Amino acid sequence: MDRRTLLIGGGAALAGLVAWPLVRRAMQMTAPVFVARNQRYDGPLERTIRDGLIATGLDPARLAGKTVLLKPNLVEPSRYSPQMTTNPAVIVAAAEVFRGWGARVLVGEGPGHMRDTEMALAESGVQEALDDTRLDFADLNYSQVGWIDNGGRASKLPGFYFPQQVVEADLIVSLPKMKTHHWVGYTGALKNLYGVIPGIKYGWPKNVLHYAGIPQTIFDINATLPKTIAIVDGIVAMEGDGPIMGSAKPMGLLVIGTNSTAVDATQGRIMGFDPQRISYLKLAADRLGPVEDRCIEQRGERWQDVASKFSLIDAPHLRDLRDSGALVT
Amino acid sequence: MDSLEDVLARLATSPSSSYHAGGENASEPASLAALALLAHGRGAAAQARLDWLADLQSPDGSVGIDAKQSTPGWPTGLAVLAWQAAQDSPSRSDRYATAIERGVNWMLQMQGVSIERGDWSGHDTSLRGWSWVEGTHSWLEPTAMNLLALEHTGHGAHPRAQEAGRMLHDRLLPSGGCNYGNTVVFGQELRAHLQPSGMCLLALSGSSERTPRIETSIGYLQRALNDKTTTDSHCYALLGLAAWQLVPAGADRWLSTAAQRVLTRDAASYKLALLALAAMGRDCPLIPPSRRLGVASPMQKGI
Repeated sequence: MDRRTLLIGGGAALAGLVAWPLVRRAMQMTAPVFVARNQRYDGPLERTIRDGLIATGLDPARLAGKTVLLKPNLVEPSRYSPQMTTNPAVIVAAAEVFRGWGARVLVGEGPGHMRDTEMALAESGVQEALDDTRLDFADLNYSQVGWIDNGGRASKLPGFYFPQQVVEADLIVSLPKMKTHHWVGYTGALKNLYGVIPGIKYGWPKNVLHYAGIPQTIFDINATLPKTIAIVDGIVAMEGDGPIMGSAKPMGLLVIGTNSTAVDATQGRIMGFDPQRISYLKLAADRLGPVEDRCIEQRGERWQDVASKFSLIDAPHLRDLRDSGALVT
Repeated sequence: MDSLEDVLARLATSPSSSYHAGGENASEPASLAALALLAHGRGAAAQARLDWLADLQSPDGSVGIDAKQSTPGWPTGLAVLAWQAAQDSPSRSDRYATAIERGVNWMLQMQGVSIERGDWSGHDTSLRGWSWVEGTHSWLEPTAMNLLALEHTGHGAHPRAQEAGRMLHDRLLPSGGCNYGNTVVFGQELRAHLQPSGMCLLALSGSSERTPRIETSIGYLQRALNDKTTTDSHCYALLGLAAWQLVPAGADRWLSTAAQRVLTRDAASYKLALLALAAMGRDCPLIPPSRRLGVASPMQKGI
């Protein structure tokens, strides 16, 4: 190789090094996320949710006559810990928005830790809300199931059994609680879809998923169910020993978007995490949606203006999830 | 219970044994329905459920969750309980003897996965019970169901039954009652819930003495039951207490209220069967025979 060849080759390589990130950036996904502050459970949530969904690209005209499944988080409800579960006011407000757009709305959940679903609905206050607003409920733990091949393949599971209401829904709306999680850092829209997996096939807890890998199966479930969007209840959130035993952290926020990965990434930044260090978001990044901040277009409030560091339990596997790598308060 | 006859009539004539009205037949509601109907002297109505369960049994002896899903086999213990109740009924039918034997053999071959005990966990992860799904950890409710089945089929002294008893006892929360399976995670005690607590105390009644931890859990059930308790939790909590010869003062009223609610809303076989079983109190056929007959089991000195 002569000097000229080396220069040409080196120049090409250099050009490549310079150009590749630009190409890669151009190829990366982008998505908008809407953040609303000063929200209250007795406030105009319906208007906020409607504005947020439209601001992040949902076309209401396409929902007329469609079936929308609202999936709150009712993992192990207790009336003594309302910060654990999606508040009924958020569920009802979301339902009214979709009803207003002509959709048929169904609320569905398969509580992960309780076999008595009636108790889960009573303890969370959701049953009363369902009765008041004449909303149908699907007990996803005990429904008939259908098989769908694993669309993600991060885990060894070849596919998933989903309740028929999930299979048949035109749109699934993940309605998680903004919470810390003592195994994976925090939980939001993506992890909330563990609750569409039927206990009758996977157990209480859905231990099959744990054995196949929590981050991997979070990714796989979401990769297999593409028609999902997210509305995060961060009005009264949970910090500390989430997702069950943590304490209340009032935030007054709703985080809304048509891409759940982008919503989760934004939620994490608000909570003081680096979402690029969260195991399941590493898998989801640029495959299910954007995680990098510059690829997420902020609508409504800037996340920087509402961020507040969430406390975590002091466990070795959680110590590297912050921006600084430093710890946990 | 005021509406018992209505509950039994609806249960006997229900077109399917399902978790929810209009649902398809499933093994757990079918097993509980058969048990309830047999216990209330309606053997003819139970027969179809028992036969359906027998038809469902796989060559390996397991009973899947419904006719379409042959796995997981966690309802096997419940089916065995139902078949055994038929065998113990006045007709003394041995029609299901082979099904019982195959079911018990399957249960004895299956076990939950033991895992290394870490600092995060408060329970003894080495104790083997049964899992919901093959290849996963042992959990409280499938272990309770299978322990009951072993007790009722005369296998209460089997080492697996004894270990299951130790496992359930280990999963009692320090403050009383049971969570779905864990006790303390990352140093924090989890919340108790009525259904698993009742099921655990029911299963332990055949093999355990009234230890301080069981006493604490009985106390939890007695404190936690109230007018707002939902049907499934009510029924299992009352059965858990009945197994220890305790019947709360409000039991009959609670069950009557729950029965009215079920009859006017969902009327699913699963809830109707639980109500009919709970209404039997200390005579419920789910209570281990050694406890019902007042005979000390071989294991009652063990824990």
